[in-house]
Amino acid sequence: MLSANRSLLENVWRMFGRTPATPLPETETPKPAPRADVGGLVEEMLDQGRYALLLRKQITGSLRATQLDRARQELGTSMAIVPAGDVFLEQPHLDDVDLPVGSGAKLVHIDEVFLDRYPVTNQAFRQFVDAGGYGQEALWDPEVWPGVANFVDTTGQPAPRYWSASRFPEGQANHPVVGVNWFEATAFARWSGKRLPTDPEWVKAASWPVAVNGANPAQRRYPWGDEMLADRANVWDANRGKTTPVDHYEAGRSPGGIYDLCGNAWEWTSTGFGAWDGCQYELDVPMRGLRGGAFDTYFDHQASCQFQSGEVQVARRHNIGFRCALGVCEIVPETIATNAIRQEVA
Amino acid sequence: MSPKAVLPMDSYRLAQYTVTAPCYVCGGGNNFDAELCRHCFAPMALAHQASSQKIRPKMIAVLGASGAGKTVYLGMLTDMLSREASRLQLLARGAFSISLQQNTVAALARGRFPDKTPCEPDSWHWVHCQLRAPRQRKPLELIMPDMAGEALLEELDHPNSYPVVRAFLAKCSGVMILIDGSQLVEGVKQQDFFAMKMLTYLCDLDDHPKTGWLAKPVCLTFTKADECEACFENPAAYARRSAHGLWQHCQERFRYHEFFAAGVAGNCAYRQPTGKGRLRVPLRVEPRGIVEPFEWLVEQLKRQK
Repeated sequence: MLSANRSLLENVWRMFGRTPATPLPETETPKPAPRADVGGLVEEMLDQGRYALLLRKQITGSLRATQLDRARQELGTSMAIVPAGDVFLEQPHLDDVDLPVGSGAKLVHIDEVFLDRYPVTNQAFRQFVDAGGYGQEALWDPEVWPGVANFVDTTGQPAPRYWSASRFPEGQANHPVVGVNWFEATAFARWSGKRLPTDPEWVKAASWPVAVNGANPAQRRYPWGDEMLADRANVWDANRGKTTPVDHYEAGRSPGGIYDLCGNAWEWTSTGFGAWDGCQYELDVPMRGLRGGAFDTYFDHQASCQFQSGEVQVARRHNIGFRCALGVCEIVPETIATNAIRQEVA
Repeated sequence: MSPKAVLPMDSYRLAQYTVTAPCYVCGGGNNFDAELCRHCFAPMALAHQASSQKIRPKMIAVLGASGAGKTVYLGMLTDMLSREASRLQLLARGAFSISLQQNTVAALARGRFPDKTPCEPDSWHWVHCQLRAPRQRKPLELIMPDMAGEALLEELDHPNSYPVVRAFLAKCSGVMILIDGSQLVEGVKQQDFFAMKMLTYLCDLDDHPKTGWLAKPVCLTFTKADECEACFENPAAYARRSAHGLWQHCQERFRYHEFFAAGVAGNCAYRQPTGKGRLRVPLRVEPRGIVEPFEWLVEQLKRQK
């Protein structure tokens, strides 16, 4: 039992590229980690929404079939698949706002990927905060280590900017977490076994390109179609002036069943800002791409699938959140999981 | 039609020329069909519209150094108020009153800031509008020009070089001074000094304790506040910290003043389009704190009644 426990934990830490700060005990002791048994740790990780970590090829061998099954169910509930294929990327906001989708764009191929159905919520991010995510060096890029101590809330506690005493504002558990910078978003993604989506992945999920008979793919301007509709996204014209619960705009879902790709809060991507713009920006500090628009986005086209904005990596804005992605090739194929379940049943 | 039939009409027109039409801003006499006042270059349409209405329009000046964001602020304000009916509702009077809104919104939608306002007063945009608040029976008539920062500076340094500025400010009921908050963050005090100069100029124009500028509302707004979030958190405290001279000046002299913060672009960057210089461009448009200072000013105008 103990060796299985150690094996699982070691595998988990290997995912982060280093071993935990506290060495694992060689023999069973009366004071083990808070959840000493494998089942307890796995359950805890599942409760925290870290199912993606459990579905890694290195981890699944240590799981019981029921646990693997639950992790798979969590994956299906929380993430939607974005099929592999080509997607056009362009930057339509500069002088060519009226051009049709696809003109002057770059065609990019992406592999199959899972994308969170909802942006990361305050409730989900609280799991990261409560688990001491801000104190785990392995989750953060080394370049930002000296700055992590400054990523605090209104009371000086490590948490998103607009929280208080490491707690999100009351009644906003299901709202997208905002006031987090790119590094915090990346650290959360690593902690949960995922990563930030790339620009092409995000745009493909939102614009849902359809290529017929080998022609260039036809893409949607918004996740539901080509026309902005006030009842489908929380943008300026929705007149709310703040974020809404992530599942509020059901009619604004993408064909793949992904919510809030348009409006509510901008979303960090892993791609650098300006990557798709022929006319180079002169940036004093490198910026990361933002997608999707927010509740205060004034112009509809700036909340469209193709529009990319940018922000410096350390900015913690009131209207920027994120969602996570997971490459299909990064997790154990379903057939293996199914076989494991069959074996257990037998 | 024979030429004789035209004569009575021409005579009528000639009769109109004998009576001068006073400019609404400077009061100077003009021909009845003049488009701009020949003395101060304000649109004569303001005078024609004012004479046809029961309510006499009030004037509000939006002032600031060159690049402080006067055009963007006024353009966004008029667009937001004409689009959103839940707060103040704005109805433009005359086609000329929509040009500023049109130019600003068109530029921002294309990922640019609007062109610099030229120094020549005959190129300035003027906004004449009716303002209606919810649950308020009587609307307010307002005139707000978009004056060039260079012209304002020239008038401050050499009074009477721009008669339209002097004439307009003499008749204004309230003023909004825009200060570039992003420059204050960088320690550049030019905007701070400009605001102080402007306030002393206003006091020189009319320092009557009850009817002069000391008793009129002065709204001080830090623009481009998206580049310094501290502005939004507490504008007055920010003014005290970063523009202490201005803050002290207001405390000492102006009974009705308030500090605000506003921002239009969520973030900006620089581009170098072909054949043009280095351009500062907005990366997204998310207005913040635009209506609040204006609402305060309008409330103060009502108090003046």
